[in-house]
Amino acid sequence: MLHNEVLLDIATFLSRRWTNNSNVQVFIKDQKMPITRPDKNQISLPRPHYFPGTDFQRYRQWRIMLWYEAMRLTFCSKVMSYDHIFGFLLNTIETKRAEILGLRSWKGMEKEIVFNEGISWLSKPLLNTLYGKHKIAEAFSQYFLTGSLKGELFGSEFSRIQGGAARANEILDYAITNDQGTEYIELRIPELVRILELNSLASFPIITPSSRVGFGRSVDEKGLLAEIEKLVKRKNLEPAQSVKRSKEIFEGHEVNAEFNALVKESKRSENKGQEGIEDLGLTIPKDVDTDESQIYDLDLIQRTKSQFKHWTTGWYEKHEETGDEFDPETFLERLSRTFITDFKLSYRSKVAIVLDHSSSIEDSEQDYKRATVALCEALKFLKIKFGVYAFSTESGQVRCWIIKPPSANWTRIHARRLAQIKALGGTPLAEIYTLLEPVLRSFKPDLVVTLTDGEPSDYDAVRRMVLTYRRLGIRMVALGLGRTLNAAVSISQNLQYLEYEKSLAVSMLGDIPKKVINLMQT
Amino acid sequence: MSELYLDWNGSLDVLTRAYNAGLFTIIIGPKGTGKTSLVRRFASLVNKELQSVNFSLRTRESHLIGSKTLDKGEINFVEGILVKSMKEGSLLYLDELNAAEADVLLRLDEALDDRRQVVLKEAEGQTITARQDWSVIATINPLSHVGTKELPPQLLSRFPVRIRLEYPPENVELEIIMKHVSKIDDSKLDDVKRAIKLSKSLRDAAAVEELYYSPSIRETIAFTRLLNTDIQPKKAAEIVFANAYDQWGEVEFRKVMDMIISIFGD
Repeated sequence: MLHNEVLLDIATFLSRRWTNNSNVQVFIKDQKMPITRPDKNQISLPRPHYFPGTDFQRYRQWRIMLWYEAMRLTFCSKVMSYDHIFGFLLNTIETKRAEILGLRSWKGMEKEIVFNEGISWLSKPLLNTLYGKHKIAEAFSQYFLTGSLKGELFGSEFSRIQGGAARANEILDYAITNDQGTEYIELRIPELVRILELNSLASFPIITPSSRVGFGRSVDEKGLLAEIEKLVKRKNLEPAQSVKRSKEIFEGHEVNAEFNALVKESKRSENKGQEGIEDLGLTIPKDVDTDESQIYDLDLIQRTKSQFKHWTTGWYEKHEETGDEFDPETFLERLSRTFITDFKLSYRSKVAIVLDHSSSIEDSEQDYKRATVALCEALKFLKIKFGVYAFSTESGQVRCWIIKPPSANWTRIHARRLAQIKALGGTPLAEIYTLLEPVLRSFKPDLVVTLTDGEPSDYDAVRRMVLTYRRLGIRMVALGLGRTLNAAVSISQNLQYLEYEKSLAVSMLGDIPKKVINLMQT
Repeated sequence: MSELYLDWNGSLDVLTRAYNAGLFTIIIGPKGTGKTSLVRRFASLVNKELQSVNFSLRTRESHLIGSKTLDKGEINFVEGILVKSMKEGSLLYLDELNAAEADVLLRLDEALDDRRQVVLKEAEGQTITARQDWSVIATINPLSHVGTKELPPQLLSRFPVRIRLEYPPENVELEIIMKHVSKIDDSKLDDVKRAIKLSKSLRDAAAVEELYYSPSIRETIAFTRLLNTDIQPKKAAEIVFANAYDQWGEVEFRKVMDMIISIFGD
């Protein structure tokens, strides 16, 4: 129901604000435990389907999980894997520490924490269904985090759990009062392992919440409300109004409004043609766990923007580079007071960019992508309306990817789409133009720029398609990419025979943005 | 009003030194950081009359220089604010200078160079020379603001003293609010602090273009005033902060509401 990109957008916004760190990156990985890497400012989340309940309940759990991970990123210097006892115990204590510290700033999360505790309690495993070390570790986590146990313990097990939880609370209290971090707690985990009579390196099975209650099964609503009531009483949240309060928490109106807005937004982006596009043979890159920062070359982006700065400022400065030593003061005095030249500019406002991702581009794939990102950032900066499409071959089939539809604003999510496309296959330009035709007919760009480094598979077909587009009043330009100047020139010469209105050669990939943007000036 | 200004980063001192040295000053900073309050406070400290122009795309040369009028068959020249302040030797305040058009900047540059003169082509080529004690302070908004352009370097160089005014740290913002709102109930202090934190967070988001608007100190003051009318803090925050974002779509509004929900609680 919720689009990955809509989720990613809200998760990125919230995590950055909650952590007060604008460099946080969020990835969505299906059916995987959430994991945070404080050293890299990264949070990985599963989709809401990871959780049990209705769509809304799932979203609520997903949002609170994001908050916990954001708090981990803020307060913990290290997050270990959950699949061994040592990491599991450390993360359990750190969860509580992050929660306590986080609530100091984000008091409003309290109700959502109660809801989360209630609903996750329902899906927690019964202790009598577990055995050995797994049972003890799970029991410790339940008792330490909530003060209760689900199911039965036998013999000396309970006293071990009580002892462990008491010690863990002491460690936690000390860490919080004395401003100690992850290292302090980590050093004390072996002691906890001894009290619980466990083995640090023993593996710990990870079971996802939705698989515990049976995948897709809904949550028992009455049971959930009763659980929330219990928690409200235990936590002493306004005891006089505990019934009303529990109902409020159960319903979660405030988050519901947000959820509905996101559902609407997901539908809206589907209606924008994202769904119907599949029938036309076009594809949207769907991975949301690709790191786009590798193709963000801030230097190149800045350079490109400053090259075209005068398009937005309305004036530009000229420097004399030859002749006598230049003194701007005397030069200006001699002038009749016009040091500013009004710069009248008209540029085409709609562009479609088609990117070749055939195997020959593979060697310089990253640089090529970086140049494309710089181009897109500069186009956004210049407020030019544009769409970006790419083509490659995937499992023997030609794919035409929609990197950025013209209706959307360029964001890092689009860069992420570009980052995941692998350069592979040939240059079936004619097929791609055919696939794109319906899209471009509705977008009606003034200019279509095709960036390619190879010769198209079928010359005649390409020529035909280029002419079709030109008859629609679209200016067709090709940019030939070559490794050396000679190679680039010969590619662009070949492209000239294909009826393009203009074909240019680029041998330095960093020049792509400049060349493309210059095409737009009339 | 000028007494309400809190000089938290020593800007007044810099302004005074520049003034005594006969140098013109430019103040750079986002809106709502107290640029205008600072200049007003300074003018009252040095006991100078303040003449202000607020620049926009509509500001014309004639606003600065003056224009001819026809009165009872007689042609008169009505002086513009620049000419007037040069003659009177007052303090000229050029607000949001980088919103001005190139031709306006050109005339200003003429007056601001070392000769401190303008030739009135509008009034028979009369030359106006500024009084010795004439002084100018300008402000510019960061380029991310709508309608702002980069100031030509030539003009920037006429203001060799540059003051950067940022949003103040949270504790200073609280102090500023206290100066503007006569009484804040102790029980409401925590909510005011939360609103300051919220503002800061929204400003950070706007700085990286995650949101399209960054709230100013005016908004935190307004929030505090509303709070004094016994409105629920969450509601006050919704009215003052969140509703503004609705113009960019419901998702933007909800994002800000989420911040408010997670900060305020009940």
